[in-house]
This record gives sequence, structure tokens and C-alpha cells, in this order.
Amino acid sequence: MQEHASAPIEMENVTRRFGDVVAVNDASLWVGAGTIVGLIGPSGSGKTTMVRMLTGTLAPTSGRVAVLGETPAHFRRETRERLGYMPQQFHLYPHLTTSENVAFCATLFGLFWWHRRKRVREVLELVQLTDARNRLAKDLSGGQQRRLSLACALVHEPDVLFVDEPTAGLDPLLRQTVWDEFGRLRDAGRTLFVTTQTVSDAQYCDGVAMLVKGTLVAVGEPAALKREVFGGELVDIRTEGPAPKAVVESVQGVRAVQQPAKDRLLVTTDDAGVVVPLITSALNTSGSRVITADKHEPTYDEVFVELVERTGAGEREEVAS
Amino acid sequence: MIGVAKSLTRMSGLIAKELRDLVRRPGAILSLILGPLALMAVFGLGYDGTRKAYDTIVVLPTASQLSRDPKTYNDLRVPGVTVVQVTEDRAAAEARLGSREVRMVIVVPADAQARFMAGQQATVTCEWNEVDPIEDNIARVSTQMLLMELNTRVIQTAAAEGMRIANVQQPIPPDVVASPLKYDIKNEAPITPTMVGFFAPAVLALVLQHLGVTLTALSLVRERLSGAMDLFRVAPVRAWEVLIGKYVAYGFLSLAVAFVVTLLMTRLLAIPLLGSPERLATAVGFLTFASLGLGLLISLVADSERQAVQLAMIVLLVTVFFSGFVLPVDEFRPIVRPLSNVLPATYGIAIFDDVMLRGTLGDPLTFAGLLLLGVGLYIIDAFGLRLVMRRAR
Repeated sequence: MQEHASAPIEMENVTRRFGDVVAVNDASLWVGAGTIVGLIGPSGSGKTTMVRMLTGTLAPTSGRVAVLGETPAHFRRETRERLGYMPQQFHLYPHLTTSENVAFCATLFGLFWWHRRKRVREVLELVQLTDARNRLAKDLSGGQQRRLSLACALVHEPDVLFVDEPTAGLDPLLRQTVWDEFGRLRDAGRTLFVTTQTVSDAQYCDGVAMLVKGTLVAVGEPAALKREVFGGELVDIRTEGPAPKAVVESVQGVRAVQQPAKDRLLVTTDDAGVVVPLITSALNTSGSRVITADKHEPTYDEVFVELVERTGAGEREEVAS
Repeated sequence: MIGVAKSLTRMSGLIAKELRDLVRRPGAILSLILGPLALMAVFGLGYDGTRKAYDTIVVLPTASQLSRDPKTYNDLRVPGVTVVQVTEDRAAAEARLGSREVRMVIVVPADAQARFMAGQQATVTCEWNEVDPIEDNIARVSTQMLLMELNTRVIQTAAAEGMRIANVQQPIPPDVVASPLKYDIKNEAPITPTMVGFFAPAVLALVLQHLGVTLTALSLVRERLSGAMDLFRVAPVRAWEVLIGKYVAYGFLSLAVAFVVTLLMTRLLAIPLLGSPERLATAVGFLTFASLGLGLLISLVADSERQAVQLAMIVLLVTVFFSGFVLPVDEFRPIVRPLSNVLPATYGIAIFDDVMLRGTLGDPLTFAGLLLLGVGLYIIDAFGLRLVMRRAR
């Protein structure tokens, strides 16, 4: 996610306006080779606009975009052959069969017939659509259509794959399968740029970028982001009777204290392992008995909400979890 | 070399996709192909080309010496007129005309013969009740022909009477006096087809244009609305490759239909094909090429499938009026003619008439015009599709 000369995907101070509406505002992002980056944000936050700028179907109003070292508006044909794109909507041909749709996409990327047959078979196996290979696309279920779109995006073995909302409408088992496949592609050296509304999908990514109303409110590795957002490690303390917040705030190594309930404190610390005994001791000394003191692992939803509130990026958006 | 091979791969994929997509929609094929064929069959079987003669009443005054037998007048064989009654009651005849029981009333004056003998003209009144301007014209022509025959009869009678009084030794026959000249007619056209035969080439041109336009009018709209165009924008495919894919796929289908329709016309309906089949095939190819281009243009400007269908129907309507299908193109004012010139069927009808009914090669300029129209439409389509597929904007 850090600036790197050979990053396959680069965005630098990119802004895109549609009239008076700012769809993407001053976004900067570097995606390294062989990684999965998740662009997370609610509906209408500008995710698809970013993908369209990266695939060259939309030009930025200002700023610099480069994919595989080239400006998307001026991709060479050879460069386009190295890109894969799975749009948000099912766009394939309902009156063609599953394998015909995949074969058609393969021809668009110039795969010769001897290579094409093999790849169609492989990619259908990959997305578990081999049994449905002769079924018309219009007769597939919603989940199968998503997998068919994915197969079409993968059939020519792209180096960089842009995937817009791949798990929308999929059941949890299938979501897991899709993310497993993304992981395998990443391990094979491919770079994946995945947009999603599902904040918990961050756990599958090597890097996440959180987008709210066109503004990137956070960019980083998922685990580091949690620490960064909350300013340290979180400790959840429950006491018998009211918890004295001021006592805990005075303990060395405590950065911040929130009190969601009278008998509960959420404490941000530099190092939970060191600070928890000190907090317990201080509370006991003050006459407040500690029932539990556990390290709290915040969910990505909590991280997202915290980020939205902290950055003041607008009213809280509804996000799928 | 690899680039060319990849380009061919892309185009073959696009062609196969279009053909498969078409074949999988039998309803569309049925309505597009069997529909026009059924239309032609109904036209061919249902139209006998015979115009019904005007039922006519002749009003004669009591004193008139002219015949009161309708057969006498019908024996004159005036085209388009059948005398159904000869009467003295003008008011009753006009009442029947008003209620459209008959279509013409001819009122002969009482003093017709006497006025002629006195060297004066007598006026025969012809009345009809038509709002249709074509029928009005036909009535006028029929009236003129009827009057010519009546004049001849009057002159014949007068001449016979005159010669009898003059006691001429070598009498000139009264019909020669009445009609010193007679005519002999000759139509230089190689054949005089039936009404169905005459209209068949025009119907073929109309059907082929409509087929080409309708097939392609929906194709790009569907892809634009479904989001498939996004895939084209990202993939290394160019606008001209997409267009070639569509032209070849739909062209193949259109030519197959043209072959079947022509075969049915010439074998089943016995429509003549006097000229070279190769020349006809060339014209069909050019017409199909231009028609597909027109359909693709509709596909580029329409913002929904419904609008594409509406525009295709408007093109059909414009073609019926302005292509020479019903009325000759020359009869339109020059300001309207450019509309005829942008319709592939205008050229198709002219060429098909020449090749099928006259047995000529067809006017090279008309061929060139049709090809030019097709090329022009291809260029416009390629430019338009390039704009639609323009990647970064």
C-alpha cells in the first residue's frame, strides 16, 4: 500500500467530479504486485468510479492513475490483454451457455482456440460450474451468474484483476469459496483489486482502503489499521459496581478510556500485556473489584464506524456486515 | 502476424456469439423471417390486381333517340365503367349516387343530336361521389374515354344520315368519318407482369431492408444496456472489430433469408427473374450491407430497446412512402428526395425491377449509390461506436 516504483496499480491525488458532485476526492493508493487490496465502502461511496478510472473507462478530473505502468486511457492492446475485469452487474449473454460465454470472453482477449478450450475447462472447474457448462446463462442462479462473471474475468489469466462487488448476493459458503480462489490467484502472483460493501471481507485482504463519500479515510494492512484506528490495543474491563474512569486514566500506558456502561470500561493501551496488571491493581486499590479484564479484538465494522465518526466524512453510512 | 491472428480470433468470437444468440431466440427468428414471408404470401394470394368497374346510371331524356338498353353502352367497352341502368329520372339516379349505391351518373342532354346537326356542342354531365383523389382521377379518365366513344357514335349517326341525304356514289363509311385514325399499341417492356409480379421485387427489397434494420437495431442497444459494453471497453477489442462481427453474423442470416425468399418468389409465386442471378445477388449483398448499417445506426442512437423498435418501424413507414414502393420517387418534390436517397430500399427497388422484370444489368449509378450508402453508414457506425466505446472521458 506504500508508494513503490513498480506497483502495478497507482493512484496519486486522484479526483473525479461529475458536474458539482465529487465522486472521488484526492485519492492516493499504491497496490503492490501479488496482493489483494480491498476497497471497502458503502453503496455510492465511489468504489465503482475508482475501478472505472483504473480500467480506463473513465478519466480522472485531476491526478495521476497508472496500471502496469501505463495511463489507463492509453493502454496498449498488449496491456489490456493482461487485465481482467468483473463488473458489478451480470453483463453476459443470457442466450449463450455457460461455456460459450466464457469462450466468448476468451476470444475478446485474443486466446487462440487450442488454448481457449483448455482454459474454459479449467476456469469452469475453478468456479465449480463444470456441471452447468451447457446450461444457458439465463437459467443459472444469481450465485452461479456471479461465478460465471468471475470465470470470464479469469479465463485469460490476467496479471491484474479488477473485481467489482464479487460477493454481493452470495451465500457465506460461496463467499468463502470466492475469497479462497482470490487467495490462490494472489499466491500465483496475480494482483487483485476488489471492491466490497462487506466490511468483514477486509480479513481476506492484504491491504484495505476504506472509502466514504469519495474520500479514502484509511489505507493500510487490516491488522495495523485496527491498531491505528483505535490508537493501540483495546482492553475490555468489567467491575463489580461502578467503574472509576479517572483511576484508570491515571495509569501509565493508558491512552484513552471510554465508558460504554457504568460497570464497564474500554481502555486503549500501548501494550495490553503490560498495562492490564497495572489497571487491575489501581482499581483494586481504589476499592473497585475487577471481574474481567480481557483484550478486546475490534471487528472491522467497529473500525469502519470509528473511522467514519473520527474523520467526519459525513453521516454514518449503512454498511453490510 | 500474431496481432492479426488475435484480431481474427476476436472477430470470429463476436460472429459466433451473434449467431448463437440469434439461433437461441426462435421467437425473434420466426417473427423476423417468417413474418415477412407470410406478409408476402398474403399479398401474393390476396391481391388479384383487378379494379372494380364503376357502376353507372345513364340518364336519358324522354325524347332522346339514344338506346335505353344498358348493354349498348357496355358494348362500347369503356374501361372502368359498367352501365347498370338507363333512366329518365335524374333525381332518383342522383339519390342513388348520394347513398353510394352507384359510383357514377351520366346525364345526356335531350338536344344532343339536334345541337350537333346545328353545329353546336351539347354538354353531357358526369357526376361521381369520391373523396379519394386517386379515384377522382380515375373517374375523370373514364369519363373522357366514355365521351370519346359517345362522340364517335354521334358522328357516325350524323355521317350516315348526311350521306343518305347527299346520295353519295362512293360513300365513306361513317366509322371512318367518325374516326379517321385508329391506333395500334405496343409496350416495349420485355414482359407485362401481373400486379403481384410487378410489386414482388419491391416487396423483396422492402423485406430485406426491414430484416437487416430490425436485426441490428436491437443488438448494440442490448449490449449497452446490459453492461456488456463495459467489457468491450476494458478488453483489447476495437470498434471496427465489433462492427465486423455484427455485419458478418447478421449479413449471413440476411443473405440466407434473401436466398430463400427469392427462391420462393421465383418458384412458388412464379415471379420472373429475367436478368442475371449473379447481378441480383450482388444487389442483395449491397442492399443487406446498407440495411445492416442503417439498423446499427438506430442501435447507436436509441436509448432503449423499445425506442429501437419504434425507430425501426418508422424507417419501415418512411420506406413505404418514399422509396418508390408505392409512388415513384420522381413524383416527389426535390426537397423530399434526400429522404429517399438515404433509404437502401430506394436503390434496391430500382435495381431489382431492372434485373428481375426488365432483364437488364441495372443502372451502374444506382449500384454505386447503394454501395456508397452502405460504406457511408459503416463509417458513421464505426465512428459512433468508437464514441460509445471511448474508454476515458
